[in-house]
Amino acid sequence: MMGENVLRAARYPFLPEAREFISRNIDLSLESLEKTGSEAALKRAVERVKNSLIFKEVKVTALDELNYVREMLSFPIAIILVSMIMNEYVRRMYALGESRGAYRRMLNESVETLLYIGEKMGVGGVLEDENTIRVKIPTYLRLAYSFHAPHWKLVNRAVNNGYVTMGKTEYARLIQVEVNNYVYEKTLEPVPPGAVPDIFRKAADEIVELWNRLETGKASRIPLKEREDTPPCIGRIIRRMENGENASHFERLVVATFMIARNRNIEEIIEFFSKQPDYKYSVTKYQVEHLAGIRGGGKKYSVPSCRTILTNGLCYPDEYCKGVKHPLRYGEKNVAGEPRIS
Amino acid sequence: MLQASLEFLKREFFKYYYENISRLVPPEPIRSREFGFFLEKGRGMFRHKCFNSLKDFHEFILNAIPLDIYVSAANYEDPGNRDMSEKKLVNAELFFDIDAESVAAVSEEESAWICQKCGQYGIGLIDRCSSCNSPTELVRLVSEKQLKEALRETEKLIHVLTEDFGIAPENIHVFYSGNRGYHVHVNQEDFLNITGEGRREIVDYLLIQGLDEKELLNFLKKGANIEGVSFKGVKRRVYMRILEKAGSMEKLKASGRETVLKTLVNAVEELKVRIDPVVTIDMHRLMRMPESINSSSGMVKRRIRLEDLPSFKPLEEAIAFGDEEACLKVKIVPRFSLGGKTFGPFKDEEVELPAYAAVYIVCKGLGEYAGR
Ligand code: SF4
Ligand SMILES: [Zn+2]
Repeated sequence: MMGENVLRAARYPFLPEAREFISRNIDLSLESLEKTGSEAALKRAVERVKNSLIFKEVKVTALDELNYVREMLSFPIAIILVSMIMNEYVRRMYALGESRGAYRRMLNESVETLLYIGEKMGVGGVLEDENTIRVKIPTYLRLAYSFHAPHWKLVNRAVNNGYVTMGKTEYARLIQVEVNNYVYEKTLEPVPPGAVPDIFRKAADEIVELWNRLETGKASRIPLKEREDTPPCIGRIIRRMENGENASHFERLVVATFMIARNRNIEEIIEFFSKQPDYKYSVTKYQVEHLAGIRGGGKKYSVPSCRTILTNGLCYPDEYCKGVKHPLRYGEKNVAGEPRIS
Repeated sequence: MLQASLEFLKREFFKYYYENISRLVPPEPIRSREFGFFLEKGRGMFRHKCFNSLKDFHEFILNAIPLDIYVSAANYEDPGNRDMSEKKLVNAELFFDIDAESVAAVSEEESAWICQKCGQYGIGLIDRCSSCNSPTELVRLVSEKQLKEALRETEKLIHVLTEDFGIAPENIHVFYSGNRGYHVHVNQEDFLNITGEGRREIVDYLLIQGLDEKELLNFLKKGANIEGVSFKGVKRRVYMRILEKAGSMEKLKASGRETVLKTLVNAVEELKVRIDPVVTIDMHRLMRMPESINSSSGMVKRRIRLEDLPSFKPLEEAIAFGDEEACLKVKIVPRFSLGGKTFGPFKDEEVELPAYAAVYIVCKGLGEYAGR
């Protein structure tokens, strides 16, 4: 791997070639890491996670890229640190930070590079013309379902012969989702406790300390409790609204769709919204009925997915959120009910 | 249903399965599917059953002679587990159900009413008893016309699946359900892994739900030339239909917003594929087993080759039984067509019918077996 390619691997350290480069050139067993002077990489790894917690984005400068060995190495180390911390919030924020950073960098790439990254991440695309990329329908559905804007809905897309067409930016968005998934899954892999050198543990502590100082972390620092039916993200919005805090449009949407999905009756939901400073009975009633599909063509709105809630900065997961992709799945009990037949 | 009737059914079903068992081939791989059976009338489903081989499956059927046979659309790691989440879903075929009754209305002639209170009954769709005015129980037999409409929807579905979704014809399996509709199974590799959320999007696409009307109205207002735009898929179809309906772009531009919206609604009504959304989204669904008997009609869930679809005659080609005569006692049976013949209406009589028609009446709960 030479020149440009090395820089690309440093810029996108989740690419398989970065992994290959490391395993070819560096002894990655945990014991030897301590010795091989990878302290710089460890420091950079801590920075990656801190970036994610503070800015929700891992920043990579041109200088970082030139330090390509350190840069590539810092990524798997960061993953080890995050999985050592064993906290759902840190996991999700780190995955978000890496994927957001990657997205921003991808926007400046040529379409060829973009297609290359997509290919390697399992988001294969085909160039249709200069500005249009085709993606297979199943790939598209896997990644795009959680975006809430109407133009992401399949029914509003150009669909033909098994493919969905889109521009560069949208394609980069799809790759971002996959990067997020990839990083998150990596951080779920447990690290054997004995295998971790002391400097790693110290580095992890440093991150925990920072996160303790950040206000946003508080909700999830509560130790394991009984699992409730309401996921923490929604519980948090509800509590704030009960205190009369003014909720954003999106927060209201989340709470209302959630209550509808849990079969709370409309009047009850409207009553709940009555504590909002700008509350008007008729307006709220109209909106809630709209979401419930009683008005406006009968389309019932679904509760946004975890991914959407996360990108809106409202995900405050606890350990029961591990692997959960949709808030309605939180606290779900799986019993075989009546058979559903056709 | 009287015991004699049930025994009559079981005898006829046995004959069918004995002769046709080799046609009952569940989707591959059989080991990862869950099976479900109705073994007796009015009893719950016997489910979470799995088989190691086709031979085991066939043996079970010939032993039990189930009234209905179902197989999961999904492949599971542990299909026999009673806990749905412990079954561990691997993937699932895409499954579509088109119900004739939600596509077209039933006719008066093919319906009957029964009053549970005073025992009166008659032909027609009457919801209040003519002598005591209590609510009636309605019997609706599916008509050829309804099934024709449903078949047309099925063809629409296949068109979208092949044209828009790029699904190879050999991966599309079409069936008459044996009673009121059509089933379409899609087992194209890369579509098997689509999640429930993704299937929801496919459903919305087919039912044309969530269409961005604003974009459409803007486009029409600009009067852009549709050929010059990169619209594809259902959106293009909707736009084209609106233009067709309006006559020309000029006329459309001249008409008010209300008219345009109305044209849009009508275009969507015509173009949408009337599938049952719940069925397609549900990955754990049990599908009626291809080539098995549907006990609500005594007809077979029959495979239809794509090229035969336009000319398929469900009420003739899905017959499972012979035409030796059987004797039935009937209260009320509306007119019905089966096997190319028309029967009825019957009222308070003993009738001799060919076995396939007799089974049909018994399955519908409209008559009891009274010997050969
Ligand atoms: S349910 Fe999803 S969005 Fe809500 S806190 Fe848990 S992981 Fe975050
Ligand atoms: Zn009566």
